[in-house]
Amino acid sequence: MTNLTRRDTFSLAGGALAAMASSAYGQAGPIKIGFGMALTGGLAGGGKAALLSYQIWAEEVNARGGILGRKVELVHYDDQSNPATVPGIYSKLIDIDKVDIVISGYATVPTAAAMPVVMQKGKVFLSLFALAANDEFRYDRYFQMQPNGPQAKFEFSRAYFELASKLSPKPQTVALVGADAEFGVLAVEGARANAKKAGIKIVYDRSYPPNTQDFGSIVRAIKATNPDLLFIGSYPPDSAGMIRAIHEVGLNARMVGGGMIGLQFAALKQQLGPMLNNIVAYDLYAPEPTMNFPGVAPFLAKYRERAVQAGVDPLGIYIPPFAYAEMQILESSVNAVKSLDDKKLAEHMRATKFSTIVGDIKFGDRGEWAEPRVLLIQYRGIVGNDVEQFKQAGKQVILDPVAFKSGDLVTPFEPIKR
Amino acid sequence: MKEVITQSPESRASAKSLRWVFPIVICASVGIASLLLLDLAKTDYAFLAAYTVLQFVALATAWNILGGYAGYVNFGVAGFFAVGVYTSVVIYKTLQWPLLFTIPLAAAVAGLLGLGMGYLTLRLRGVFFSIATLAMSVVLNTLVVNWSFVGGSRGVYILHPETMPFFGTYARYLFVVMLTLAMGSILIARFIENSWIGNGLAALKDDEMAAECAGVPSLRMKLFATTVSGALLGAIGAPFPYFITYVDPNSAFSLTIAVNAIAMPLIGGTATWLGPVIGALLLGTLQQIATVTISSALNLLIVGVLLVFFITVAPNGIIGFIRDMREKRK
Repeated sequence: MTNLTRRDTFSLAGGALAAMASSAYGQAGPIKIGFGMALTGGLAGGGKAALLSYQIWAEEVNARGGILGRKVELVHYDDQSNPATVPGIYSKLIDIDKVDIVISGYATVPTAAAMPVVMQKGKVFLSLFALAANDEFRYDRYFQMQPNGPQAKFEFSRAYFELASKLSPKPQTVALVGADAEFGVLAVEGARANAKKAGIKIVYDRSYPPNTQDFGSIVRAIKATNPDLLFIGSYPPDSAGMIRAIHEVGLNARMVGGGMIGLQFAALKQQLGPMLNNIVAYDLYAPEPTMNFPGVAPFLAKYRERAVQAGVDPLGIYIPPFAYAEMQILESSVNAVKSLDDKKLAEHMRATKFSTIVGDIKFGDRGEWAEPRVLLIQYRGIVGNDVEQFKQAGKQVILDPVAFKSGDLVTPFEPIKR
Repeated sequence: MKEVITQSPESRASAKSLRWVFPIVICASVGIASLLLLDLAKTDYAFLAAYTVLQFVALATAWNILGGYAGYVNFGVAGFFAVGVYTSVVIYKTLQWPLLFTIPLAAAVAGLLGLGMGYLTLRLRGVFFSIATLAMSVVLNTLVVNWSFVGGSRGVYILHPETMPFFGTYARYLFVVMLTLAMGSILIARFIENSWIGNGLAALKDDEMAAECAGVPSLRMKLFATTVSGALLGAIGAPFPYFITYVDPNSAFSLTIAVNAIAMPLIGGTATWLGPVIGALLLGTLQQIATVTISSALNLLIVGVLLVFFITVAPNGIIGFIRDMREKRK
């Protein structure tokens, strides 16, 4: 054992302290952004597309020299579309990987499962397409990237019924049908309220089990009530099945569509092709001249170049621009606050209006968009099954909101004659 | 041998109680040691990951009581588990009892379900019984999806406090709860295996007709096994909502749970209490590591590949393999 004199001890301790201090100050390491993402399982299609957007953003930022002079690094784990893996992933991200920022994975369920962990650690939480995930928690550092607004339930059918009641003569009856699952139930609940408000009589109001395959009998039952309008709240496989059955049975109403998830994806667009003509549906982004926000075209070009190789949706107009915009908000906030402090970031995000590639975004109550911006679009002039045509303007005409309107509603919906 | 014969009744009784004290002491010390070890990591993640592994240890052990000892393959594990989960949710939404009181109630409900299912289906043998359990799980799933009070298909949030008195963080508390449940399941399984019930169940597994002719009360024993196994599966489900904090039918009736609870005992070996424990520790840990490192669908693939491997190389699981090796050496 060497004997240390008191002076030796002090100088050693001083050296150690200095080393620690310098490492704390000179944090030249990257800014780590952590998230769990569905890369396998049922949500993987959306999850992979979102991941590609984040990666494109990270590359661009790093090419610009990073944020606050630090590079950006994405730390992500596959949550397998299974919420049970999510609490563990987020504690690992925060406690072990020591990420600076956490964001959510794709969709409601994984986001909801991450909320308690994130709240306990007091982290700012940007989420991607989580339906009303903060309604019960009311966490003041939560911000959500889907333009539903604070009243999502009613927003998915508001424009549909507003436009319908302006038709002349005014439609008298509506049929409501939806999947017996989260989105279907919510969307139909909202539609019920909106139909009553518009004074339209509900002549059919049923739900079907989520794994229904054959929609022929449902559509025949609807046809028997002879409704003026048909509102559908469906998930991707049902949306396709429903539209096929409508053409097969030959159901004609003045407006057909509403809250149909899945039509936004290239795979279903391609599959259904001309069967989509005149269907009225909600959407979040459409390549119309009224929505040509600065930056969105170069982003989509870059995304589409790499989408096929990454095995994700080749159109990329549903989730990817919003995922990219999410990171733009993050980048702009960190640059404005000049720190990674969660409290300061949250305050800045609450107070600021952000310009992104999906337009101007201001957050309001519970971290939802202050102004809802669910689009109501109508498919027009779809010929054949080529996916390329959906990149053009005029195929998904925006009917509502007025600020983005690019065409007028065409009625009635006509099934393809065989 | 002579010693045993000359033992007085008192010393025989003390030897019997010793046989009981010993495993309990081992369990307790293993538990405390793992708690202290995980404390070293100083992060909630260690406890949450350990919780998942222990949950599988407990599930595999509980499944093995019916599937391994009696040879009745229960495909409805997720159903029993979900009964525990949703009992917990109902109590959270109505009575707000603490988790410690919720667990016995969940066990009771799931145990009753097990008894009922056993009564209705145990006259079915082999594959017919398995299909009936699978059907039960589907029926329960449909009920939950249409029951809006427990969230229906939309799911429900469970908010828990951040800390627990005496336990520190809530994750640490959940770990202790699951550790106790896993240890309890192992002790119960070991007790059943070493008692006359275990012998009876083993006889049923070999040849039910012969066992019945030899005077084994087969239906009663099978009912006992379904009830105990079901109650344990339900008890293991009870803390799950507090672990994940958001429950929807997809996570409660998850395929991962159903597949793992069967695959783990098969890989470890179904004949003894140790088999499921080894299988679950091995597979559960592997899956946890794969989730955060390789990041892919590897989880179920790992289970699949290991299953194929063990069924071809060691059809009696790891325990059976070791036993065979020993006998060969002799």
